[in-house]
Amino acid sequence: MLELNNQYTLMKRKIDTEVLKCFFDDTLVEQADRLPLEIIPKTRTPFRCCIYKERAMVRYRIMALAGINIERDDDEEKPLAEYMQEVLTEDKPPLPLLTTIITGCSGCPKSQYRISDGCRGCFARPCMSNCPKDAIVFINGQAHIQEDRCIRCGKCMEVCPFHAVVHIPVPCEEACPVDAVTKNEQGFVEIEHDKCIGCGKCVRSCPFGAIVERSGLFPVLRMLKRGEKVVAMIAPAIEGQFPGTLGQLKAAIKKAGFHDVVEVAEGAEITARNEAEELHEKITEGKGFMTTSCCAAYMELIYKHIPYLKDRHSTSLSPMGYTVNIIKEKYPDAKMVFIGPCLAKKAEVARRYKDISGVITFAELASVFVAKGIDVREMEGEDLGDTAAFEDCREFAITHGVADCVMARFDKDGVNARVLPINGLDKKTVRLMKTWEKRAPEADLVEVMACEGGCVAGPGTIVKPALALKLRNAAKTAKPAVK
Amino acid sequence: MKKSKVKVRICLGTACFVQGGADLLLYNDFVDPAILAECEIEGCSCLDECKVGNGSAPYVSINDKVYSGVNQDMFCKLLAEAVKNA
Repeated sequence: MLELNNQYTLMKRKIDTEVLKCFFDDTLVEQADRLPLEIIPKTRTPFRCCIYKERAMVRYRIMALAGINIERDDDEEKPLAEYMQEVLTEDKPPLPLLTTIITGCSGCPKSQYRISDGCRGCFARPCMSNCPKDAIVFINGQAHIQEDRCIRCGKCMEVCPFHAVVHIPVPCEEACPVDAVTKNEQGFVEIEHDKCIGCGKCVRSCPFGAIVERSGLFPVLRMLKRGEKVVAMIAPAIEGQFPGTLGQLKAAIKKAGFHDVVEVAEGAEITARNEAEELHEKITEGKGFMTTSCCAAYMELIYKHIPYLKDRHSTSLSPMGYTVNIIKEKYPDAKMVFIGPCLAKKAEVARRYKDISGVITFAELASVFVAKGIDVREMEGEDLGDTAAFEDCREFAITHGVADCVMARFDKDGVNARVLPINGLDKKTVRLMKTWEKRAPEADLVEVMACEGGCVAGPGTIVKPALALKLRNAAKTAKPAVK
Repeated sequence: MKKSKVKVRICLGTACFVQGGADLLLYNDFVDPAILAECEIEGCSCLDECKVGNGSAPYVSINDKVYSGVNQDMFCKLLAEAVKNA
């Protein structure tokens, strides 16, 4: 996957911020068609073929932010103003999660291995000896791969002492754990939405920005603008995504128009307790292994690809599910919006939680802050209330964290539980999980995280996981000093 | 006489933070340790440059001189230069 810090992410954030500034100024419809020209000025040295293509891509990016299904509703003759008028008056359906921008797709050639000029034509020729299909021949003292024989196993690349073998992947296809991203007849990207689990890995991996999420931000902004009472549910991964403390972040979110802020970690505490109990029962009654169920992309994976795991995942609700109940009790008349790092959460909400009116990402929240000129670090920190009971459940956002919280609540009384973390879904782990039907894993509790590293590495995050962890640890050590 | 350390302040206003300023906070991972030893680096409140300046986020102040649009590579170069001239 692409490093989070790249030109595309920065451009995306810039576009989002500019669009939102217009929205808050009530000039979106008038300004919309000017935005691509302002964001990509004539003087810019383009990264794509020309500034006109870059402007076209800005236009599509704006459409995606407005939640428009580009692959279905793209009409090049229709001005952006008309699209904006539409999204300001009606909410677009949340599914499908992703949409493609064919204009941006580079139509990458089929995944392949090639031998570069770095080949010295050595005597040992490990590439030749290790190729299982005898696909390597030597011509003029250099190795070549016979395409028709090559099965793309990558052995030659592993063994070449000169690193002369290069792998040229199709990033989106390679990133998709369930083969939902394919190429159409013209060689451009296509997503099979009924296979897609919403992990967002293809979005993150395409260096051309040809796959985008259809944002659900506008329906939320409209709710806030109408002055409705909206409570923000913040996912445990939010700590470390913004400068400042959690208390300041709460204040900032309220300044953005939300009525109150509730930590989803509070619901996570209930999830952990229930899972500990269920695990105990499973072990004592010899019912076999149990998996966690809090990862939304993993749940999509089960229901779309590995149905036998339906009886294996815990029956507990996700932390978000319990948080809904907590908010309902406190604010029976309020609407709820989930703010997290996750795209699949939208699918979970559409499937199970009618009470939640919107899902937005940390990156989208950041654009709101910047557009509104809200500086998190300058806010007067708000009281988070008594968080002692669920503080440890903020770790739900990190691989091992869920299992640790469950085990901390697990009643041992002579029962031992073995834990197996699945740290990130990819083609390999999906294949492994499919074999569990015939051969159970040597574990009692399987913790599944679709993103490698946990939610802190999710597709809607702002900072690199390494920095998020650093800031989270700093917050932890800073706390005793405050008290 | 002992050289005084180079004072580096990375703007942690939300705009700078999300436009790449956050990545600069991982300075331990990408700046030469010999250079780091000569610097005092801290995050700071919004430098207010975004409100007046013509540059772009993120902003960094080195010995009270403000630089705009700083990425990791530029950050290394600026620090190396500042240490050399100190």
